[in-house]
Amino acid sequence: MTVGVEYYVLLSMALFSIGLFGVLTRRNALMFLMSVELMLNAANINLIAFAFYHGNLTGQVFALFAMALAAAEVAVGLGIILVLYRNFRDVDVTVPTTMRW
Amino acid sequence: MEGAFSYAPAIAAFPLAAFVVALTFGKWMPRKGAIAGIAATAGSLLFSLWMLAAVASGEVYHETLYEWTAGEAAGEVGDGIEFTFGILIDPLSALMLVIVSLVAFLVHIFSLGYMNAEGETGLPRYYAGLGLFTFSMLAFVYADNLLMAFMFFELVGLCSYLLIGFWFRTRSAPSAAKKAFLVTRFGDYFFLIGVVAIAATFGTVAFAGDDSFVAAAETAIADGDTLFGFDAQTWVTITGLLVLGGVLGKSAQFPFHTWLPDAMEGPTTVSALIHAATMVAAGVYLVARMFGYYALSPTALAIIAFVGGFTALFAATMGVVKDDIKQVLAYSTISQYGYMMLGLGVGGYVAGVFHLMNHAFFKALLFLGAGAVIILMHHEQDMWKMGGLKEKAPVTYYTFLAGALALAGIIPFSGFWSKDEILYDALIVGLNEPVIMAAYAMGLVAVFFTGFYTFRMVFLTFHGEPRSEAAEDPHPVGWAVKVPLLTLGVLALVAGVANLAPVAKILGVDIVFLEHWLDGEYGAVEGLTYSAYGELLAYETGVIGSEQLTILVAAGLSLLLAFSGAGLAWKLYNVPEPVAHKERLGSARRTIENNYYQDEYQVWLARGFTLPLSRAADRFDQTVIDGSVNGISTASLFGSSWVKRLQTGIVTNYAALIVAGFIALLVFLGVYGGWF
Amino acid sequence: MMIEALIAVALIGALVTFMAPNRIAGKLAFAISLVPAALSIWMFTAFDGSGNALLDGTLAFESHLEWIQLGEYSISWFVGVDGISLPLVVLTTILTSLAIMSSWTPIDDRESQFYGLILFIEANLIGVFTALDFFLWFIFWEAVLIPMYLLIGIWGGPRRKYAAIKFFVYTNVASLVMFGAFIALIFGLGDGVTSFALPEIANAMLNGGPEGLFGLEGTTLASVVFIAMFLGFAVKVPVVPFHTWLPDAHVQAPTPASVLLAGVLLKMGTYALLRFNFTMFPDQVEAYAVPIAAIAVISVIYGAMLALAQTDLKRIVAYSSVSSMGYVILGLVAYTQFGVGGATFQMVSHGLISGLMFMAVGVIYNATHTRLVTDMSGMADRMPVAVGILVAGAFGYMGLPLMSGFAAEYFIFFGAFGADFPYAPLFTSLAMFGIVIVAGYLLFALQRAVFGPYELETDYEVSRAPLHDIAPMFVLLGLIIALGVAPDLIFQMITDAVDPILSGGDL
Repeated sequence: MTVGVEYYVLLSMALFSIGLFGVLTRRNALMFLMSVELMLNAANINLIAFAFYHGNLTGQVFALFAMALAAAEVAVGLGIILVLYRNFRDVDVTVPTTMRW
Repeated sequence: MEGAFSYAPAIAAFPLAAFVVALTFGKWMPRKGAIAGIAATAGSLLFSLWMLAAVASGEVYHETLYEWTAGEAAGEVGDGIEFTFGILIDPLSALMLVIVSLVAFLVHIFSLGYMNAEGETGLPRYYAGLGLFTFSMLAFVYADNLLMAFMFFELVGLCSYLLIGFWFRTRSAPSAAKKAFLVTRFGDYFFLIGVVAIAATFGTVAFAGDDSFVAAAETAIADGDTLFGFDAQTWVTITGLLVLGGVLGKSAQFPFHTWLPDAMEGPTTVSALIHAATMVAAGVYLVARMFGYYALSPTALAIIAFVGGFTALFAATMGVVKDDIKQVLAYSTISQYGYMMLGLGVGGYVAGVFHLMNHAFFKALLFLGAGAVIILMHHEQDMWKMGGLKEKAPVTYYTFLAGALALAGIIPFSGFWSKDEILYDALIVGLNEPVIMAAYAMGLVAVFFTGFYTFRMVFLTFHGEPRSEAAEDPHPVGWAVKVPLLTLGVLALVAGVANLAPVAKILGVDIVFLEHWLDGEYGAVEGLTYSAYGELLAYETGVIGSEQLTILVAAGLSLLLAFSGAGLAWKLYNVPEPVAHKERLGSARRTIENNYYQDEYQVWLARGFTLPLSRAADRFDQTVIDGSVNGISTASLFGSSWVKRLQTGIVTNYAALIVAGFIALLVFLGVYGGWF
Repeated sequence: MMIEALIAVALIGALVTFMAPNRIAGKLAFAISLVPAALSIWMFTAFDGSGNALLDGTLAFESHLEWIQLGEYSISWFVGVDGISLPLVVLTTILTSLAIMSSWTPIDDRESQFYGLILFIEANLIGVFTALDFFLWFIFWEAVLIPMYLLIGIWGGPRRKYAAIKFFVYTNVASLVMFGAFIALIFGLGDGVTSFALPEIANAMLNGGPEGLFGLEGTTLASVVFIAMFLGFAVKVPVVPFHTWLPDAHVQAPTPASVLLAGVLLKMGTYALLRFNFTMFPDQVEAYAVPIAAIAVISVIYGAMLALAQTDLKRIVAYSSVSSMGYVILGLVAYTQFGVGGATFQMVSHGLISGLMFMAVGVIYNATHTRLVTDMSGMADRMPVAVGILVAGAFGYMGLPLMSGFAAEYFIFFGAFGADFPYAPLFTSLAMFGIVIVAGYLLFALQRAVFGPYELETDYEVSRAPLHDIAPMFVLLGLIIALGVAPDLIFQMITDAVDPILSGGDL
């Protein structure tokens, strides 16, 4: 039994919206990072769903790429958060604003 | 004499070599470069004499040696134009070469006694300057085209700057040097326009030959051409007057005469070489060189004559009240060059050149004599502190006296003959031309003043009782001083023999050698002769009674005035204890002592007008122009200081903005794309 | 491949110098810079081109490689020299070597970066003068700004940041105007043009011109582009009233940067004017001759007047550069062989003379640590050789005959006096008054600063300049005199390349 592609899209939409909500409302950098991950994975779901729907592997390959990238991104992101914590004793993203101007 | 001319370039090359040698090795040479200079100028003198002999044997030389550049330009002569360096040796330039190299040679020798003996520092620089000056002047003299003449004319100006400013550690010498260069540069500005205009009009700058600008101008006037929107005659006058600007500057004619008295800040030898005999002569020589061009324009000639006559009188009156021996000589130089201009302006080509030659000898003599006096007086130049030098320095006295007699125009010294000829030429033309008559009258009155200030100088310096310790115990002078003085003294006495025109006309004897010389009886370039110029001249001449009577009247008048001037000086100053008589001049005294405020208004033009104008321009530049540039940047910065507040630095806000923007875009595309 | 070699040596040399230790960077950079100098002199002797590079002339050392295809337009690596660009290339390489030597004394901080940047500038300058593809040319054109910005901004005087930013932003905005105008022109030319190669564009301009764009008529478009490009280049030259960045940049820049800035960077502007405006738009040149001549005269007189009001030696030379570049504009607008040829000659001549002046002022500054003429007096007493050269350079600036400045100015005046545009003699005579003012301010400055009794308002011990400060100035002086005595060394080469411009490419 196959599930219609529209359900996958709905799922990814929901996931993306949750991630977006997190990005817009949270101030904790860790929560931020997790929200970004959610949005990224929402995109992955879309890629896989449509790959399945069209019957070729391009989307899946891209999803793999995106996951690898996401891993790298998390590594960098966590590194930034560590530095952030070291410098500001906090992981609140609204605190470090010195680089804006 | 065939091969003589192939050595002509050496005449200028010798002093150039001396310049290089003195500048690079002078420090290590015995006498600090003087020997190189003396050898070089001696070589130049010998070669110049050789040229003179060659011309006397009927040869002339007109050769292009080096092409500076060439190109296309529209002009009256041909399509292209060539700017070249060439040599033109004809009677005029051969004569001038000898004068210049002789004076330069003597000045070099005199310098041994004047500069070396006094333990000056910087002597290599001095001799290098003299060498460069001699080179420039000689190259100017035998230049065969106007551009080359201009180039060396300017180099002469550079040399005068370097030499006047020789004692650069003082405040006054650099200032005088600057003034000399600036004032002559102002004249050269007009000269350069003239050169450019002549080149652009006629497509040639050559002095001589069928493709010279003189010949082209003659053709253009004959054809009634229109040049640059003027008829040919007017245009020739305009360009001629532009070139005259340079002449007035270099020859220190009114109103560009102010630099010359200041230039006495230089060593006296330099004054002798540059400001008496040669550099100042460059201006007058240039008029003689391109006399054919001026002969085409009666207006230009009349202006030359009038300026000359006016300057002769104007400068002579200022010379009357000066206390510094060199200042008196400076004003006399200006005045004498005024005579030459007067002579040339009335068409007296021979008379002008004759006076140029005589003046070179007797003025060099007077300056060197003044140099000797300055040595005697332990570097005192105030005549009121001198006196009584007659017995203590007979050689200096008698040679100086010879020069003074020539300057004052006392028969039979050389100055009389040439000055008389100029005044005679002016008189016969003036009988028909009121303007020339006025110029003549001024020249005539100046004779009186010349006689007066010359002998005032002689009496104050040499006669009476010594008026200072230095005058009582003069410093001795050596052979290096005496030899040049004696040579020039003899020349000042006898040089007049070259052209005894009045005697010739009255007695009917053919003793006008210079006239024949300049008329090309021996050898000449076609078109550059006295009679060729005579044909171009548009002057009518008149006589008083008969020719002989006119000659006698002219000569008698000028002699009478010269004697009365000298006599007045004798009465006032040839006393054991002379006193100043300036007070008798009354209210005129202040004006004359201040040189008619000529310096003041020119300094005001520079300092009081141009400098504030430039400061105002600078303020305008800093506030308005740069202000608007900075204003734009200030406005941008101010604008951005508001816009940048959008950039909060909080990533959440950015994300919100992105989302809002994305939604707005979706709505926009939806509405206009027809989704709804 | 010669031009590639020139650029490559300078670029690689820049990288090597960047990595070299500070101690040897100066000597190393000088040694490297001798290679392009020698190569370019060899190119000069082996030059076999003729005609104008843009107008079907025979190029020397040409190379042409397809590079990028951008839509319908192809961009290529297209370099070559003709009689106009080769003298400027030689000027660039020689002046760079001398500038490097003259910076041994004053530069004592981050030497390897400094000399690396100088070599980097050299590479780009050679590129500007040799590139014949608009895109390639523009890359070099813009790339020159960056190292100069850094040179002023890092090694400059107290107000270096202000000067550097002003220089960069001002000239960059101007480049933007010019770039936009030229791209519009290429689109306006339509199908006739399929590449950014300048000869192709010049050909299209002279045979028909643009068809029109954005609803503008072809001729209107050409006029708009002409004016926009003129304004763009005018900032670089600089022409009054766009000149105010120059004195600030010069005063703040270190001496070697000033030498290159005045000596070569300003010539980029006039070179570009000649290559673009005065080659591609003969009709517009004729139409706008009078206003351009007026601007030239104003630049000459106004620049000289400003120089008269200054007391800082560098500012004096900077403003007099504005004045001298005015002569170049006058020569260009004359549109005669002597005018345009003289303008090109003046680019080379002014490069040498202003380089010499900045070096001489720099040497005095090294010793006295002041450039104000009011602070010193009688420097000739302590530094006879340096002052002697300064005086010689000043007279060169005044256009003393037998020095290159006179030849250049005379050619320009002669060319402009007989030019066809209205009132040409009047404009020329007015501009010539510059030769009086220049004598005024230079002699005035000399009188106050180097003559008179020795006095100095600083605490530094003044001694004679070392040989490596003096030697470059002697080389420049020698070149100035050589060009003044024998202008045909380069003038015939220049006029050969100028003639096709004047005849509209019909040679």
